[in-house]
Amino acid sequence: MTLTGWSVFSFDGIGTTWEISTPEDLPERVRAGLLGVVEDFDRSYSRFRDDSLIAVLAREPGTVTLPAGAGKLEQLFKKLYHLSNGAMTPLIGSSLERLGYGADYALRPLGHPVPAPRWEDVLVWSGTSISASAPVVLDIGAAGKGQLVDLLASVLRGAGTAEFLVDASGDMLHSGTEPLRVALEHPYDPTQAIGVVELRDGALCASAANRRTWGDGLHHVLDGATGRPIETVVATWTTAATAMEADALATALFMVDPPVLETDFEFSWLKVYSDGHAAYSAGFEGTLFT
Amino acid sequence: MTTPLRKGLLVGAAGLTLASSVAACAPSAQGSTPQKTSSISGPYKDGTYSADGDYISPNGGETVGVQLTLAGNTISAVDITVHANNPNTQEFQGQFKNGIAAQVVGKKLDEINVSKVAGSSLTSEGFNKAVETIKSEAK
Repeated sequence: MTLTGWSVFSFDGIGTTWEISTPEDLPERVRAGLLGVVEDFDRSYSRFRDDSLIAVLAREPGTVTLPAGAGKLEQLFKKLYHLSNGAMTPLIGSSLERLGYGADYALRPLGHPVPAPRWEDVLVWSGTSISASAPVVLDIGAAGKGQLVDLLASVLRGAGTAEFLVDASGDMLHSGTEPLRVALEHPYDPTQAIGVVELRDGALCASAANRRTWGDGLHHVLDGATGRPIETVVATWTTAATAMEADALATALFMVDPPVLETDFEFSWLKVYSDGHAAYSAGFEGTLFT
Repeated sequence: MTTPLRKGLLVGAAGLTLASSVAACAPSAQGSTPQKTSSISGPYKDGTYSADGDYISPNGGETVGVQLTLAGNTISAVDITVHANNPNTQEFQGQFKNGIAAQVVGKKLDEINVSKVAGSSLTSEGFNKAVETIKSEAK
């Protein structure tokens, strides 16, 4: 699906498909710049490759220096770690691997779920410096894709492009005056939508437990305190000024009551529970089909 | 969202006045929780009524929908629905109004006019291949 008349630059990066839509073709130089940012990000944060920066910490305790944007991730994860009482954590990687979602895509549980290690026990993260006192599997996926969306938006703005849509397979940032109609995918049927939002000059992100599933009750949104997949919520959507915040908050909605998040963040939200009922903030009023 | 029963009996001056006063104290009002009951004059049939009310905010004209439940000439419940177009107003009204849908309703994607879909539809090839492998091994 594309924007009528717009040019689309499509590529794969950090495990998903990207589409960058602009009114005019992007020059080769800008395309190369975008791909460079994606590669840098993957090489820094991927837990699916041996040569990434964080892979060092999975092998042995130590300190690594992350890219400049790491400070924003640190602040965001720290806040959400506290608001969720440890349920949302960048240390969830080992719990995911335990359930089979590791670099080898074994997709077979290695045993009973294990909680993520406690941040205060193993991790010291301050800006671009991150130290682990034991081997840890970091997974910053909950906010990472969103941050990369924001980083690519910066590249586009730096190149003088004011109107664009960066779409990382459903997590997206829109810039421009013309609103974009976006369908909210039905959590139980990808050929259907449950509503439509109009997105203008902001980010829309989704988190869903419906697709990345690999077995009986196994999916990728885990409670860090237990290491188990969350069963009560099936899909969430958020809008916020940045994709990084929208992305992280979409995951946080699985574990935290929205009013708790609303005390610290400016965002709109829609939460669909596994029994099919939904709750939403005023920003999503009127978007659901009735 | 809740579907208001639009019986339209209160769409006259009384309905609008009430809507305006509810909107005026917006920040402290609670969405769908029962409000303090208050007597109203005149014989009204018991039931649920709704009306839209207009008010002037610093952003210009805005509309809220108000749904009342009447029992024995007493207001037993008030439910407020926002129709804000202005983002600032949406945020302001959002402080007191969150919504609930009893059940989400699906429509076919090809029957609605959209440019994009937000969900988690696409996953990496590696993941998808691994799932396919497991499925084939399980047969």
